[in-house]
Amino acid sequence: MLRRALRLGGGRGLVTRGPGSRGGGSTPGKDWDGKVSEIKKKIQSILPGGAWNPLYDTSHLPPEHSDVVIVGGGVLGLSVAYWLKKLEKRRGAIRVLVVERDHTYSQASTVLSIGGIHQQFSVPENIQLSLFSASFLRNINEYLAVVDAPPLDLQFNPLGYLLLASEKGAATMESNVRVQRQEGAKVCLMSPEQLRNKFPWINTEGVALASYGMENEGWFDPWCLLQGLRRKVQSMGVLFCQGEVTRFVSSSNHMKTTSGTEVTLKRIYEVHVKMDHSLEYQPVECAIVINAAGAWSGQVAELAGIGKGPPGTLQGTRLPVEPRKRYVYLWHCPQGPGLEAPLVTDISGAYFRREGLGNNYLGGLSPPEEEEPDPGNLEVDYGFFQDKVWPPLAQRVPAFETLKVRSAWAGYNDYNTFDQNGVVGPHPLVVNMYFAAGFSGHGLQQAPGVGRAVAEMVLEGHFQTIDLSPFLFSRFYLGEKIQEQVII
Amino acid sequence: MLKIIVPTIMLFPVTWYSNNSKIWINTTSYSLLISFMGLSFLNQPNNNSNNFSMNFFSDPLSSPLLILTMWLLPLMIMASQYHLKKEPWLRKKSYLSMLISLQMFLVMTFTANELILFYILFEATLIPTLIIITRWGNQTERLNAGLYFLFYTLIGSLPLLVALIHLQNSMGSLNLLTMNFWLKELPNSWSSNLLWMACIMAFMVKMPLYGFHLWLPKAHVEAPIAGSMVLAAVLLKLGGYGMMRITIILDPTTKAMAYPFLMLCLWGMIMTSSICLRQTDLKSLIAYSSVSHMALVIVAILIQTPWSFMGATALMIAHGLTSSMLFCLANSNYERIHSRTMLLARGLQTLLPLMATWWLLASLTNLALPPSINLIGELFVMMASFSWSNISIILMGLNMLITALYSLYMLITTQRGKPTFHTHNLNPSFTRENTLMSMHMLPLLFLTLNPKTILGPTL
Repeated sequence: MLRRALRLGGGRGLVTRGPGSRGGGSTPGKDWDGKVSEIKKKIQSILPGGAWNPLYDTSHLPPEHSDVVIVGGGVLGLSVAYWLKKLEKRRGAIRVLVVERDHTYSQASTVLSIGGIHQQFSVPENIQLSLFSASFLRNINEYLAVVDAPPLDLQFNPLGYLLLASEKGAATMESNVRVQRQEGAKVCLMSPEQLRNKFPWINTEGVALASYGMENEGWFDPWCLLQGLRRKVQSMGVLFCQGEVTRFVSSSNHMKTTSGTEVTLKRIYEVHVKMDHSLEYQPVECAIVINAAGAWSGQVAELAGIGKGPPGTLQGTRLPVEPRKRYVYLWHCPQGPGLEAPLVTDISGAYFRREGLGNNYLGGLSPPEEEEPDPGNLEVDYGFFQDKVWPPLAQRVPAFETLKVRSAWAGYNDYNTFDQNGVVGPHPLVVNMYFAAGFSGHGLQQAPGVGRAVAEMVLEGHFQTIDLSPFLFSRFYLGEKIQEQVII
Repeated sequence: MLKIIVPTIMLFPVTWYSNNSKIWINTTSYSLLISFMGLSFLNQPNNNSNNFSMNFFSDPLSSPLLILTMWLLPLMIMASQYHLKKEPWLRKKSYLSMLISLQMFLVMTFTANELILFYILFEATLIPTLIIITRWGNQTERLNAGLYFLFYTLIGSLPLLVALIHLQNSMGSLNLLTMNFWLKELPNSWSSNLLWMACIMAFMVKMPLYGFHLWLPKAHVEAPIAGSMVLAAVLLKLGGYGMMRITIILDPTTKAMAYPFLMLCLWGMIMTSSICLRQTDLKSLIAYSSVSHMALVIVAILIQTPWSFMGATALMIAHGLTSSMLFCLANSNYERIHSRTMLLARGLQTLLPLMATWWLLASLTNLALPPSINLIGELFVMMASFSWSNISIILMGLNMLITALYSLYMLITTQRGKPTFHTHNLNPSFTRENTLMSMHMLPLLFLTLNPKTILGPTL
């Protein structure tokens, strides 16, 4: 230091050496800046205020203790975190940790979804959830406002959903629309005549009835919602950790019910979070675990011991959520339906919507049970488009006979094999695991409502705003399906 | 005193040489026996001191604190059994050794004859406490907490060392027994003010006084249960005891110098009580309530009247037992739910009714319900401070109100209400836990019948 100062100071007075020595005098200067910030960081970590382990660097590990651990950082997990922090009565009351395996969200269902939201369900709770979500999304800049951050632009296209029904499904559609109207959704029924008048590009052959959502339906950008939630949730004090939950350490109590049957109630008191690409793991002591792992919720539930027991008993009832692969294809069709085209769902199940302003369309089809693709990877099968998706779409919209597929992607659907509706609420035997998973394709649109319901369950003990008791885990054991009336 | 000190030192071989399966029962029972032996110190027929040797004595002021210290060791050992279950034997024995060494230092501190001996032991108690907090605490913040604890108390007490050595040089002796007799008035100068500050600051930080209280919530929250118990029950009282001893020689300076500290205490009482109303972490709430109660004790000691000294002593004993019991209750919650947040453990009355009884009793004594000794202490302090200045009654009354508010808030949030789903399978209360709570509560209730024992030297 002294020598450098002498050299720099002496260099001017004495004989000036070449530029080499001057260059030699200044490069340590650049290095010194980096060193100073490193030293500053070290000092800051030592001073009171930081969690400092004298033996090795632990800044990438989650904290040793957290009140609530949310497994899964997708839209459902972040929504639960947001509402937990919003509904806690005192600021900073609950410590929440969100554990997400992949911070690039490369395989998460949230970002690979087409982002649609609609209220055309037959189960009233689903309709209520979507209605709340629509109002949440409309007012998103009031809910998710962060100081000094730019407002969110969700690119919500409120163009509605158009469901088509044949003769066979017309009665179901009418009763569904009645339920939807009762709940407050604005849906109108259209005859083929009215359809042709409104959407001249539709071929109404085989269509007996159509239901068209007029308000609160459409599609939006799921990435934007995810980033908005992430930003807001981090500003509210939720800790994020990149890691995978590999183990739940739990304690069991063998108890007897009032009728004398023996049950074993478990409580998870430690979650082992393993870091990426290493064997290092951190045991996080926790009071509550929320399973929002999307397509992998079934695996996480198995880690907690759910489903390990003789089949037919409550202990042996698994969480029936498994990943199913769904393809989404993007094609270009210059003569296609115009800007007013809603998201159209055909009688065959094929759907499409407009994407952007360049005559591009997104669409796909849910394959029947027997032809489910292998969920091992996210490879796209273009043959599926040729054989199964294109013909019904081309029949419904004649303009689609000439189209060119631009690209496609595949995403996981956290498919509930029991009744294709979500699981919300606590597990009867593992007392401190709450579920928010298994929504089989409509998780994104119901995330705000479900997050609030789970937060109410944790903080109050019962559902306060939307009663999601039909969605509890116990229905798998009792066999009570709440299935959507599918319109054929 | 050797009859107490040697058995306490002998507890070391008891822990290290006991059969592994018997360390808990051995240490608990022997420390309980030692505490029973110490009960003989309560025999104080007059205001004079019992002189045991050239180095140790006991006084109506120090004997209740001494008995509290000795009573607390078996309770601490009982409370630590659960969280040490999974540790290897060596670590369990080290933990017990820390507790026993702390006990030894504390016993000697409360009976020390001479102020420099008192100072050395006062500082020595910091080391086992620091080791307990930083090694066995629950979370990463415990390093931070240990640092705060150590440095606040050390920095506060270094001037005390200098002052004591100066006094020894100028007076020739710092023996507490003879201090009353060579009292001279301190001259009215800046140097006596500095001397006053140097002597008192150590104890102010230890009590803690409102402006220097930052270490207390951290240390209490991050410490394991035995650490919290001993911190709340005994270590804070070291400050009170030391202040009562040292203010004897600081005489007329106290009348003028005490004003800022009195203001800080009166204001701090209300501030910390109000913070309790907004706390979400159970242990943090109890820690702040400790600060609030100790502020009353500081007010009492600085006013220097006979009644206030009675109130201070009573309040110290009562608060020691109550606070320690509240920490044990909070710990029993934590062991079941693995979280300290009050909100997550609601409606426990239906699940654990006997524990709810202990919660109720502890909350009632915390809010100074008549006829408990908490009330006697607070009442005496309030009356003395009213006679010192009429206006202080407003602040003290407000403090009593807010104390009642947060104690009931704590009780209602944890016990009443609808139990949550994740409390369905709580372990029922262990006998060990019930014994622990009753051993806190029974002395408190019995002292209600004969508070003379704890009313201190000015009775």
